[in-house]
Amino acid sequence: MKTLIPLAMAVVVLALIPLWVESPYALHIFILLFIGIALGESWNVVGGFAGQYSVGHSAWYGIGAYGAFILLQKINLAPWFGVWVAVALSVLAALAVGFITFRLRGPYFVLASIAVAEIIRLLALNTKDLTNGAEGILSPDLPPLKLGGAVITDWNSKIPYFYMGLAMALFCIAVNFAVKRSKLGYYLQAIREDQDAAHSLGIPPTLSKNAALAISAACTALVGSFAAFYVGFIEPQQVFGIDVSIQMVLTAIIGGIGTVAGPVLGAVVLVLISEGLRTTIAQAHLLVYGILVIVVILVMPDGFLGFISQRLRRKAAVE
Amino acid sequence: MAVLLQSVLSGVLIGGVYALIGVGLTLIFGVMRVINFAQGELVMVGMYCTFWVFVLLGVDPFLSVVVTMPALFLLGALLQRTLINRVLDALPQNQILLTIGIGLVLSNLAMLAFTSDYRILSTSYSSSSVGLGGIRLSTPLLYCFLITAAITAALYWFLVKTDVGHAIRATAQDRDAAQLMGVNVRHMGVLAFGLGAALAGAAGALVAPTYYIYPQVGSAFTLKAFVVVVLGGMGSIIGATLGGVLIGVAESLSGTYIGSGWKDLCVYAIFLLVLLLKPSGLLGKSRM
Repeated sequence: MKTLIPLAMAVVVLALIPLWVESPYALHIFILLFIGIALGESWNVVGGFAGQYSVGHSAWYGIGAYGAFILLQKINLAPWFGVWVAVALSVLAALAVGFITFRLRGPYFVLASIAVAEIIRLLALNTKDLTNGAEGILSPDLPPLKLGGAVITDWNSKIPYFYMGLAMALFCIAVNFAVKRSKLGYYLQAIREDQDAAHSLGIPPTLSKNAALAISAACTALVGSFAAFYVGFIEPQQVFGIDVSIQMVLTAIIGGIGTVAGPVLGAVVLVLISEGLRTTIAQAHLLVYGILVIVVILVMPDGFLGFISQRLRRKAAVE
Repeated sequence: MAVLLQSVLSGVLIGGVYALIGVGLTLIFGVMRVINFAQGELVMVGMYCTFWVFVLLGVDPFLSVVVTMPALFLLGALLQRTLINRVLDALPQNQILLTIGIGLVLSNLAMLAFTSDYRILSTSYSSSSVGLGGIRLSTPLLYCFLITAAITAALYWFLVKTDVGHAIRATAQDRDAAQLMGVNVRHMGVLAFGLGAALAGAAGALVAPTYYIYPQVGSAFTLKAFVVVVLGGMGSIIGATLGGVLIGVAESLSGTYIGSGWKDLCVYAIFLLVLLLKPSGLLGKSRM
């Protein structure tokens, strides 16, 4: 309850923002923030709770993006149905990959996850009939969203994207809460701390990790297709490239890995930095990400959140 | 038949470079148990060094190895002393993230300094080739392979015959025992990272005449170096040499017979297969 009340207040304040903020740029920043939060939380399920540092999550992001785009383009399936098909595809692919790669541990798993994402990127690049190769796909005009004959939105402003993004970020946060408190969550944390000990206590490691990956991939694919429709254009490097995966990992690491609030904080930090730098050194915001990750690993390996709470505890102890 | 022989030989030539990058990676891993995700970015730094030494001073790219190797050795030793050293006892994931961060910093610094334009280093012999009984081999690749072989031979001599080499190998075999025998394992770490970086720099210099030079070129080399090292067996130098040549040949054959768009895909598929079927690699001891 103690955390729910401020959370609910924050949500209400956020939901009211489009009423008095009209600048499309400000709304754009918020949408980027929601995407960042949702991605960080998605990765956190498998990277944070289960401790499986996947650096190949761009695979699920890209399947979400390409799935929904291709379904709309080739068979004219409206996005709000197509997205779920893309999510299902992504989960199926993730289960197949998880079945194979979760036999590996530590750095070997990291390497395998990168290889899988690269393989999928190269497939998207080479199957030109389906994906249009390196030229990418431009989003067709979206059919207006209707409910009982009344047009709710024709997608021409940023406001519908704002609310959908907010809902998506909240959904991913809720998923993290639910997983963390569930039996699966405890299994995952036990596996993260010591897989062999967890296994000997009767926890099924491969099954638990696959369940975490399926949840994580579903959320990531959802965000991927949302982001693709928001941007309106996709190409293999942009959605399947390793930059997407690294950004997801960084969001969780910088905020505080394995916590529900961490990726939120991480997304705020990263979005503010990259937008703040866009006007000064446009392309090199990744430089600052790099410096940030070095500093975080060396100075505060538990992320900003861990760093702050450690400071508070120390202060409390002194007083 | 000529086509087959041609692509196998081209594969061996380019595989030599992969071997060089992989040996650097495996040396660093052997001594410190750190997987360097910035290895490809070090190759990129070597490529730019070579490019500017060529453009400003007119030094031949293959001669510039004499400059790039010491320069990259210093860069590597500096990175080890200031950053890597502090995470030797941290979780492997955190070590990986640290080196990913270093890679991001290097490639984006290169972008700020040199823009993201693709640059080409063209020498008088860039597009020439040597005939060998019906087979033609690209001259720059041939030079590149010969120098690679010389550097690899020198490295073997250093590791097998010199005292410092013995100390490095002892540290790789058993860090604690080496320390008890009076080896300064901290220095060996600096030395290994410096050497690994110098090998990456040499590879960068050697491929500069045949590859496009741009800030993001590193990540492709990093991935390929992992494939090479895992195929050969993590920590095994002979394994990495063999792995490099095998991957070069596999890439060249799949490029010839399947299509050039698919060659990287074949390489990663082999990588996954090796990880699954024999994760300790061809010549490595199992550390899983």
